[in-house]
Amino acid sequence: MNPTVLVFLVLYFVIVLGIGVWAMRRGAGENLEGFLLGGRTVGPLVTALTLQSTSMSGYMFLGAGALSFTQGYWALWYAAGDLGGGVLNLSLIGRRMRKLSQILGALTCIEYLERRYPSPATRLIAAGLTVFLLSFYVLAQFIAGGKGMALVTGLSYPVALFIAVAIIITYTFLGGYLAVAYTDFFQSLVMVVGVLWILAASIAHLGGLTSANQAVAALDPSLLSVWGKDLAHRGQWGVVLGAVLVFSIGYMGWPHVVTRHMAMRRPATARMAGAYATLWNLLFVPAPYIVGILAIAILPQLDDPELAIFRVSQALLPPAVMGVVMAAIMAAIMSTADPLLLQTGSVASRDLYERFVNPGASERQMVLVSRGLVLAIGLVGYVVAIVQPPAVFDVVIFATSVLGSAFTPAFVCAVWWKKANTPGAIVSMLAGAVASVGWQLAELADRTTVHPMAAGILASSAAMVVVSLLTAQSAPVPPHILRAVEEAARVGPIPNAAR
Amino acid sequence: MFGLPWSTTLLVFGAPLAWILYTLGFLVVTRHWEREEDEP
Repeated sequence: MNPTVLVFLVLYFVIVLGIGVWAMRRGAGENLEGFLLGGRTVGPLVTALTLQSTSMSGYMFLGAGALSFTQGYWALWYAAGDLGGGVLNLSLIGRRMRKLSQILGALTCIEYLERRYPSPATRLIAAGLTVFLLSFYVLAQFIAGGKGMALVTGLSYPVALFIAVAIIITYTFLGGYLAVAYTDFFQSLVMVVGVLWILAASIAHLGGLTSANQAVAALDPSLLSVWGKDLAHRGQWGVVLGAVLVFSIGYMGWPHVVTRHMAMRRPATARMAGAYATLWNLLFVPAPYIVGILAIAILPQLDDPELAIFRVSQALLPPAVMGVVMAAIMAAIMSTADPLLLQTGSVASRDLYERFVNPGASERQMVLVSRGLVLAIGLVGYVVAIVQPPAVFDVVIFATSVLGSAFTPAFVCAVWWKKANTPGAIVSMLAGAVASVGWQLAELADRTTVHPMAAGILASSAAMVVVSLLTAQSAPVPPHILRAVEEAARVGPIPNAAR
Repeated sequence: MFGLPWSTTLLVFGAPLAWILYTLGFLVVTRHWEREEDEP
């Protein structure tokens, strides 16, 4: 391994660990709100970038490049939704969720759902789904991190995995949400620099974008179309809709992403955070997809499409820049793994342990339990990743589609539809999860040309509306919740708020 | 443009443009948020 690349990687790891120690010294672990939400002190820029880097995992450097390398410009349907995922999330539910979560006294997004849709069943189902799916997602990020480290350093997979997992667990364990948010902020900047550098080098290498597209067309003109290789997706609008939805409105159903709203300094933080999110997305999102397309012309004989971006970097960049790019790839993976780990630990401690096992736990005990669970989940993830690693991106697509399908209507209706009630939310979560899982297991996407995400969202949204209306008399929304939702809708100071 | 079919050009440039317009619209519509939140 080139020593320059190693220096950049070590420097990167030292910085993220330093942020973890800084967050701990700033008092992130002194009480539960500090550990889980950074004391609700996060400003718009950090909110936007932690939201975006959390949403964009190692998928952007491995999966996105692979998709566009094999399907050409068709892959940009995913980017088309992804570009607006942040601002859509912040504009639709950001301000209201920040306000409502504080009015209802919720510290995790699952606790928030239970306070809005009061029933132990809400929490049990939501927490169960979250812990189960996020554990899979954490596992996928660990494996991607281990493989990335092994590829870069030349170390064996178990050793590389150990280093990657140990660093993620350490700073999450030390600094909680604040460490996660600020490392995400730093990592999002590294990601942008890294990917834009590869993009610029690729375009320059091919003599400009027009020449690059002509070179791709010379190999296969269908790769320039919006319908995929050999026009395989021509007219499949159900698949196109799902591709756009999964990374746009789908984010509103991801618990580890919407938690960012609850940690904002104030509800209005969502406004500028939305602008920063769009700006960052415009710089970052299209680049990996376009590099994947250019790789068709640069490396036509590439055997593993998932390595398209990595191999292009190796072929075109000097070692020092390669070090930045490798740090960017690790940043993408780690900035998703850390909030997943924290979220899974938070939900397991607050929403399962404290709610159902030890309701009398003190704040200090709960921070200890949260930290212990972060460590335990990390260690179990490491063991599974060593013993039987599943295919990374199958797991990512599975987990994110089910999360989005199950939770999007519950989070959106919580602040926008006063008639959304407990039975509606419970049936909606179950219907979305079952429809999305069933769609994927039965491989209905190919037969129906409808994406699992589209099917899942349709099922959960219909269930929310129909069941809420049918049970409006028998299970009315409690008056104090109606008042809280009305207050959250109003733009103004948070009543009886500490800040 | 850039050697792409018109439909691909529309996707490549239209999607970012649409989100830029959405974001600008969001900023305009919500310009009173900070002020009203600060009011007692």
